[in-house]
Amino acid sequence: MADNFLQDRDIAVIAYSELKIQRRSGATPGEFAAELMEQLFEKTGLAPRDIDGVAVNFPTAEAGNTFYTNMLVDALGLQPRWLQLTDIGGCAPLGNLARAAAALKTGMCDIVMCIATDVSGTTHRRLGGFRAEFMDAAGFQGPPIAFGILSDAYDRKYGLKLEALGALAVAQRNGALVNENAVETFRKPITVEDYMASRMIADPIRLLDCVMRCDGGSGLIVTTTERATAMGVKKMVHPIAYSEITNFDPENSTPDPTETGFSVVGPEVLAKAAMSPADLDMFHPYDDFLIAVMLQLEQIGFCGRGEGCDYLLSTDISPGGDLPINTGGGQISAGQPGLAGGGVNLTEALRQLFGEADGRQVAGAKNALVTGIGVIPYFRNWGSSTAMILEAS
Amino acid sequence: MAESKTNPRPLPEPSRTTQPFWDGARDGKLLLQYDKGAGKYQFWPRPTSIHSANGTLEWRPASGRGTLFAKTIVHVPARGFEDLVPYTLAAVDLEEGVRVVGRLVGIAPEDAKHGMKLRVCWDRLSDEINYFAFEADD
Repeated sequence: MADNFLQDRDIAVIAYSELKIQRRSGATPGEFAAELMEQLFEKTGLAPRDIDGVAVNFPTAEAGNTFYTNMLVDALGLQPRWLQLTDIGGCAPLGNLARAAAALKTGMCDIVMCIATDVSGTTHRRLGGFRAEFMDAAGFQGPPIAFGILSDAYDRKYGLKLEALGALAVAQRNGALVNENAVETFRKPITVEDYMASRMIADPIRLLDCVMRCDGGSGLIVTTTERATAMGVKKMVHPIAYSEITNFDPENSTPDPTETGFSVVGPEVLAKAAMSPADLDMFHPYDDFLIAVMLQLEQIGFCGRGEGCDYLLSTDISPGGDLPINTGGGQISAGQPGLAGGGVNLTEALRQLFGEADGRQVAGAKNALVTGIGVIPYFRNWGSSTAMILEAS
Repeated sequence: MAESKTNPRPLPEPSRTTQPFWDGARDGKLLLQYDKGAGKYQFWPRPTSIHSANGTLEWRPASGRGTLFAKTIVHVPARGFEDLVPYTLAAVDLEEGVRVVGRLVGIAPEDAKHGMKLRVCWDRLSDEINYFAFEADD
């Protein structure tokens, strides 16, 4: 196994920012980026000339724009010496933090701004390639249908208790009630009956199994711990382990879709940090679908394969519970700002570790596991899986 | 009830790599890429073999037969499938060892069972394009 390049706690997140998620803003990803940048400068006292590294996600709204990052930094008045565009779908925000950490360690840059924005509620583009030929044209279009078949595969293998997913949906809504950045539509409680009665999209995937496509974004400033200390920063959060995989099990033409990249990166990120699931104070998993959370619980090792439903039915996942999960409601309840969605889970983890999670603070939270999921491939688990452990200083 | 919008069913746009697949489909034949050296098939058609480095890929006719691995009944349709809703999509394990996702034809949703035998059939979308689907293989 590779060394853990983050083990010395020499990389530090010193600030984060987030926009209120909206259903349809009419804004562009660049306009949101400007707002986030202004928030970060206000928090840190930094100026554009201090930023020499920039990492951004690739918004769906910018699909086809081959010069997106150049245009963006020009719009923002930045001159990066390291510039990163990451297109691993929902994995991009977490992936960018890891890539920034690597760049900082090489000395390519000293202070990095990571920005993730998208306006999927306002603008949506169609994709080509095998997606168009063998998915859209087959009636196999979109994540809900893909997850419908995946859920059936899980049900066939282990049995799927929908009331467990319903319980997760209800619990996650509680997070949105106290999260002012959550999309207003979801800031009301639901019951398991509401979940079961919600509109069927692709059996068994219902409307309340899925995220809602919205507009929004988040950002952070990351630097070396040395630089942060010299700046006089008192509160910082260190990434302490990271693991990533794309196109898990590439040669398998009949893969078990319930076995995902998390079967690799989950145990690996814990091993890199010399931790077990019991050592984690919080879990902030990428949650485009309720069942995705359950699969991650199994494959990271919180419970065994096929035990996810029982685990959800018997575990208190509220901020004061056994394992707090997505305390701000996750993307399921706060909304999914397109391909910036991974920033919802990441930002909530940072907010908790900075001790700023008003109304839902996990007492004594010192660490968190955050994950990312990106890209729906041709019926094989999912494209990219990422996992990072963060620790408050 | 509001009238639901119907879109034309999308046509695949063949690439250099996939043109042979659609040529076969036009003639009612299911063709799959086969890596001779590795002795394995692959689907979806790719520009290279996923089984070996520099593997020689050739197109071979498939039997068209397989079994149902997993399914979903789609109620909110893909674009162009509005007048087919609800339709059942199945992930089908072909005899050649690859999995293909296609619509089930002539099988009621409640009759789509895991492991049932299926065979390929074709939806004629245009003079040039037949699209694969699956029916019961009794």
